[in-house]
Amino acid sequence: MTGRLYGILLIIALAVSLVVPLAGCGGQKEKGTQAENTYTVADATGDWGFPSPYAHYFRGPGYIRMSLIFDTLLWKNEKEYIPALAKSWEYNAGENSYTFSLVENATWHDGSKFTARDVVFTIDYTKMHPYQGVSAGVVKKAEALGDYRVKMYLDRPYAPFLEYIGGTLPILPEHIWKDVGSPEKFQQEKALVGTGPFILEDYSKEQGSYLYRANREYYQGKPAVDRIRFVKMGSQVMAAALRQKQASAAQVPPELGGALDEEGFFILAGKHDWVAKLMINHQREPLNKKEFRQALAFAIDRQALVGTCLRGHGLPGSPGLIPPDSPWYNAAVENQYPHSPERAALLIKGLGYEKKGNFFEKNGRALELELLVSGGGQGSPGAPGDREGEMIKGQLEKVGLKVSLRSLESKTLDSRVAEGQYDIALGGHGGLGGDPEMLNRMILDKGFNSARYQDSQELNLALKQQLTLMDRESRRELVGKVQEIYAREMPALPLYYPTWYWAHDGRAPLYYTLQGVGSGVPIPLNKMAFVNQND
Amino acid sequence: MINRGYCINYLLALMVILTLNFMLPRLMPGDPLQAIYGDEAMIAMTPELKEELISRYSLDLTQAGQFRAYIGSLLRGDLGYSYYYNVPVAAVLLGSFPWTALLVGLALCISTGLGLFLGIESGYRRGRTVDRLLLGGFMWISGLPDFFVGMLLLLIFGVTLGLVPLAGAVTPYTGQGWAPALIDGLRHLALPLASLVLARLTATYLLARNTMITTMGEPFIMTARSKGCSGPAVRYRHAGRNSLLPVVTAAGLQLSHLITGALFVEIVFSYPGMGALMYNALLTRDYPLLQGILLLSAVTVLTVNLLVDLLYKRIDPRVAYAH
Amino acid sequence: MHINYWGEIKRDSLGRAGMGTLVVLALLAIGAPIVSQYQPAEYTGAIFQPPSSQYWLGTNDVGQDIWAQLLYGARTSLLIGSGAALLSTFFSVLAGGMAAVLGGFGDRVLMRAVDALIAVPPVIVAILAAAYFRPGASMLIILLSAFLWPGGARLIRSQALSVKERMHIAAARTFGSSWPYLIRRHIIPDLGPVLTAILVLNFRRAVFMEAGLSFLGVADPTVISWGKMMQQALKFSYLEVWKWWLLPAGAALSMTIAALTFTGFALEKAINPRLKK
Repeated sequence: MTGRLYGILLIIALAVSLVVPLAGCGGQKEKGTQAENTYTVADATGDWGFPSPYAHYFRGPGYIRMSLIFDTLLWKNEKEYIPALAKSWEYNAGENSYTFSLVENATWHDGSKFTARDVVFTIDYTKMHPYQGVSAGVVKKAEALGDYRVKMYLDRPYAPFLEYIGGTLPILPEHIWKDVGSPEKFQQEKALVGTGPFILEDYSKEQGSYLYRANREYYQGKPAVDRIRFVKMGSQVMAAALRQKQASAAQVPPELGGALDEEGFFILAGKHDWVAKLMINHQREPLNKKEFRQALAFAIDRQALVGTCLRGHGLPGSPGLIPPDSPWYNAAVENQYPHSPERAALLIKGLGYEKKGNFFEKNGRALELELLVSGGGQGSPGAPGDREGEMIKGQLEKVGLKVSLRSLESKTLDSRVAEGQYDIALGGHGGLGGDPEMLNRMILDKGFNSARYQDSQELNLALKQQLTLMDRESRRELVGKVQEIYAREMPALPLYYPTWYWAHDGRAPLYYTLQGVGSGVPIPLNKMAFVNQND
Repeated sequence: MINRGYCINYLLALMVILTLNFMLPRLMPGDPLQAIYGDEAMIAMTPELKEELISRYSLDLTQAGQFRAYIGSLLRGDLGYSYYYNVPVAAVLLGSFPWTALLVGLALCISTGLGLFLGIESGYRRGRTVDRLLLGGFMWISGLPDFFVGMLLLLIFGVTLGLVPLAGAVTPYTGQGWAPALIDGLRHLALPLASLVLARLTATYLLARNTMITTMGEPFIMTARSKGCSGPAVRYRHAGRNSLLPVVTAAGLQLSHLITGALFVEIVFSYPGMGALMYNALLTRDYPLLQGILLLSAVTVLTVNLLVDLLYKRIDPRVAYAH
Repeated sequence: MHINYWGEIKRDSLGRAGMGTLVVLALLAIGAPIVSQYQPAEYTGAIFQPPSSQYWLGTNDVGQDIWAQLLYGARTSLLIGSGAALLSTFFSVLAGGMAAVLGGFGDRVLMRAVDALIAVPPVIVAILAAAYFRPGASMLIILLSAFLWPGGARLIRSQALSVKERMHIAAARTFGSSWPYLIRRHIIPDLGPVLTAILVLNFRRAVFMEAGLSFLGVADPTVISWGKMMQQALKFSYLEVWKWWLLPAGAALSMTIAALTFTGFALEKAINPRLKK
């Protein structure tokens, strides 16, 4: 009888091991696609939406997938603006308008010719149906001067115009979109007719995959690869996918950069566009005191955060918010807040607090702050979580500030911060590599990522003014001044900028774009890296 | 057996669940606009865009108005429009459900069948070497969470040995013929399936073994043996039938988690299933999609219950008197 | 019933092994400060160190000693796991037993409540609970028990239903035994095996869920547990560190579960005399 049992067990063993032969037949590799020169990009999220201008999810990767199909008036490479649908442009200071001369050999993917009417249509259409990336509201009027010239009148001097309307807004074909009432629901093949270097062949929401084929008629030259595809991979297996040639390019964890570099992969270290911030509720006592916020800046050792929590893959926060590798950076703020528990304690004492035992108190009431962190670690790589929270708690308690740490699900934390129900909280956002208009959004605007700080007239004025300076040098000066005021007022403390890495096999010359792709996407997948412009 | 009381019972449960479905997502802190658009620094949230989004998401209606609209469109068979994905909820669900059903359904069948069989065999041979080996082995496996087993399998078979694909449910864009496609699908399925089976096998095995042990002491087993019934007949026809009851209940219970139970395994293997979908819907506060997922999961639970209740009476006629 | 639990366990070799492991684990957890020279939250300054005589299990991503974390994590995991397992099993017996005994309308109401609770994914409730309550050990135990009891209740009910109809119970009823007496003297002992299974199952699920909750970021950030260690280690599974970070935490957990089950089996014999040979 036991014999029979072992027989049965054997059968099970065989059945279970069925999995292994299945796993074993990995012999046939995708042959057709390899010979055809396909470029594969691996991505941890996968699905970024139907890649039409209105239907993709408005995140950086979604914009990248759309930008392969749709062109803008002008574009950027790693160092400057370059022509796209407009071969040249000029600013007419007298009437505050821009004139664009358009290329004459561009066609839509369905064969129709691209003309100035499409550009005018796009401006009018996006005024009616707001485009998520940029607002066309600043354009008072767009008019076609013949078939290949467009003039746009602005309703006020607006410095980021070229960056936003010129370099971010995708131009739509009038003959397709003119009758579309709800653009976000318009998800047919026709919605993907653009002028760009690639044409979408397939998109699968469930698998998170995209397949593009080259547009051989592209007016700026023939694409260098026949196909581009995006596939979904967990971030833990990115390096393995590169090694097994299942992917050509992917964002990789910092620790693997060195190893992959030695194996012959190209490693791109990103600009420091993403900042981790200590959000400070400046409506609450004692955080409403500038001196107290400055004390926090002295008390927190930003270099130690980078060294320990990021294992060195990042830069300590600049008190002026703009990262040191930005062209808009003001180096004068750099050493304003060296790590100094003594100076922090001095500032707090200056506000009338007394140290009793280990912690400060005033009128018998202990000073205690609640620090909110999001514990999931599901956000951008390097986003602050409970690790950073514990470390900051330790540093603040060393100075004499009692801190209680509370971990919340990330969106719960966002809503707490938005409603002002917090003392201090860890947060962060990207976009610092883009146009300095970002400063206005992150200091004045209402969002939870913004410091929402309007108490300094000087800062408000400087921020408003920098948007109107059309001359880059004087704008740079004013943005520098904004950083100095910000560092002094310290409405939210920049903690660090994590370094992000991409690895690729070198088949396409990937690069990081000046101020990011479009309005600041910090991903090295610029579509022009896939186009042979010399042909 | 299905009388009016039964129907009213289930209708009541459904109504309660519908209300819960509506309320739970809205009770969560944070609103969809903030959750979907707030994170992205590059978005130009102009007042016009905000207004347009609010009216698109019907967030300008009162809670009662939204509830009425929800029930109304449900009655028309319309599950609504996903905030985040910009497509009808039904389409999103249909895209992910088959993959989850395949993965979890298969895992459940294999783990229940195998667990029942091993449990009965092991319980019958209580205390002998085979039993102790099986028991000890399963105890060890059961201490490992599914995401842990999954990650371990992925690290060994996927990353180190390179035997199986690293992610997803199919290799995108190879498509030649159904046979390679089937093999490709199975290769992708192998590891997530194995981790789910391993994670669930122990529970079934233990239950089957435990009840088997209890039953083996019953007088009727002695009778069966003394009648000269063969070993397998005693094990399966007499004793095993008793183990079926709790095992079927347990399987039914696990089936209730069909929709969202494989969340962690799906995340580890980037498998396109409902668990991962719900997680994203939670993070984006995508109310219509969450309602859709909750509804689907509630309907599954109710259906499974009904089936289990009916099955009981087939398996153990004594239960019929209890109703 | 006079049962010498200790004697029962000692007589059974599996029980001895299980009990021994549990005792060792508990001793290690209590004596953590003696067995390890580091504090679990202490930054040693050396990150991703492989195991050495200085760091027995190496260090993690921020340079904390993994061996120390494993020891202190045992405290949390054992406390939360056993707390939630006991509480939830108590709820299960209460609800499942009542449903089975009451039958009819009460049974239906209870079971539909169970259905409704099972239909709601735990993730959502966890987020809600964390938003309105402060996560702490006791809150966590209650929260986890709230998720865990419905499953057990159904199992208990189904088993109790069949036990209820068994011969000796029917006999006792004819002799006029009261229900409380029946439940205490006959039904609970008969449910022994299922109860043990549920206890162990719930312990395991409680620890996993605790890991899952920290995965979602709603656990107490200052408390280290095995689940949390696994969750943190998973993020670095592309490095070699998983071998001495992820594996020990998993191994410790599975050892605990195995030890519990073995002890449970030995105890079961004590509770249920019919299992004796």
